Amino acid sequence: MADHDRIGERTDEELAREARAGSGRSFEELARRYKRRLFVYLRSRVGSDQDAEDMVQDTFLKLYRNIGSYDPAYRFTTWLYTSANRLAIDSHRKKTVMTARVDVEDLGDLPEPASRMPTEAGASGLWDAARGLGESRFRVLWLRYGEDMSIEEIAAVIGRTKLAVRVLLHRARAALIERVGPGMGRVKALEPGVAGETVGK
Amino acid sequence: MLCKISRWMVSRAEDTGKTLPRFAERHVKRCGACREFARSSASLSTGLKAERAAFLDGVPEFPVRALAPTEVPATERGNVSGADRRPNRPWPFLRPLPAAAMAVLLIAVGAFVVFRIGRHEPQLSAQDRAAAMAAIKSVSSAPGELGGVVSEAESSLDKERQILEKSIASAAEYLQARLNIKIERRNPPSKAS
Repeated sequence: MADHDRIGERTDEELAREARAGSGRSFEELARRYKRRLFVYLRSRVGSDQDAEDMVQDTFLKLYRNIGSYDPAYRFTTWLYTSANRLAIDSHRKKTVMTARVDVEDLGDLPEPASRMPTEAGASGLWDAARGLGESRFRVLWLRYGEDMSIEEIAAVIGRTKLAVRVLLHRARAALIERVGPGMGRVKALEPGVAGETVGK
Repeated sequence: MLCKISRWMVSRAEDTGKTLPRFAERHVKRCGACREFARSSASLSTGLKAERAAFLDGVPEFPVRALAPTEVPATERGNVSGADRRPNRPWPFLRPLPAAAMAVLLIAVGAFVVFRIGRHEPQLSAQDRAAAMAAIKSVSSAPGELGGVVSEAESSLDKERQILEKSIASAAEYLQARLNIKIERRNPPSKAS
């Protein structure tokens, strides 16, 4: 029981090491810590909440299968987000092929999928504003400020050069400042989903 | 233009921790918009980090299944493809230490091969040596044959000299008849040559 209480105090790397040794509970703790963070990241890449949820499931399943190859010398978050990013890219490629095969007239008037992500500017006004900047800008902002990753780690996750990441971050910050305006507390006329300039893959 | 450069420098300082260049610092002090950008950029970091928890609270809870160890066969764990196994590191031989070790090894092998080839002259086999000796012996044991070769070379030279003499004699006869003069040979040719 005492061991169960302490599991929440362990670092990600310790938990991953234990999971590699066969501890299912350590892996569950990792999943509990990261599922919503990963959902936020993947939601910016895929079309719906359901797709994002499925991708979170797929990412953790893939991680569990490959936990033997995790090197504790590297941060767990980098490994996690790199795997998620690759899955998202693969899924996007498959979806592009499938979309080309669907006849648009057969779809009829489908309702827009309701997003479970917060849409109104509230306590998290800055992040809501960041979501409106476009996928690639939100991704780098999330990895930088949401996950506290270094430029090198972000470059490794998204498969870009360090300079490209810095350019993306600079543009994202400039756009966010422009959107939020002076004072940084008030959010100017937010239009969720209005994509900014996309520089990503 | 200076505003763009200065703002890029502000971003660079934010990302890399480097200090702002003097010109950018001066510009930021003078330009109100850039000053506001620098101030907002600095507070953006703390603002985003502070609001992260509230933002995540807005994401609804959902179960993550297939996490129990029994759901993934033990045989599948660690049985991954090359692409999946890659832990986001460069190829082993591209890392500095293995690359240096490989370079040293290659240089050592190259030096060994070069010195080994350079130091040893190509040696004749016993068969080749015997054939060469036989050829030398055959030449030295046949002097008649050698003399024949020499006399044949000399006879052709003599023949050439005779042809030349004839053509000169013919030219001399022509000149005698034409100019009504007499040309005599001072030393008659010797028969022996």
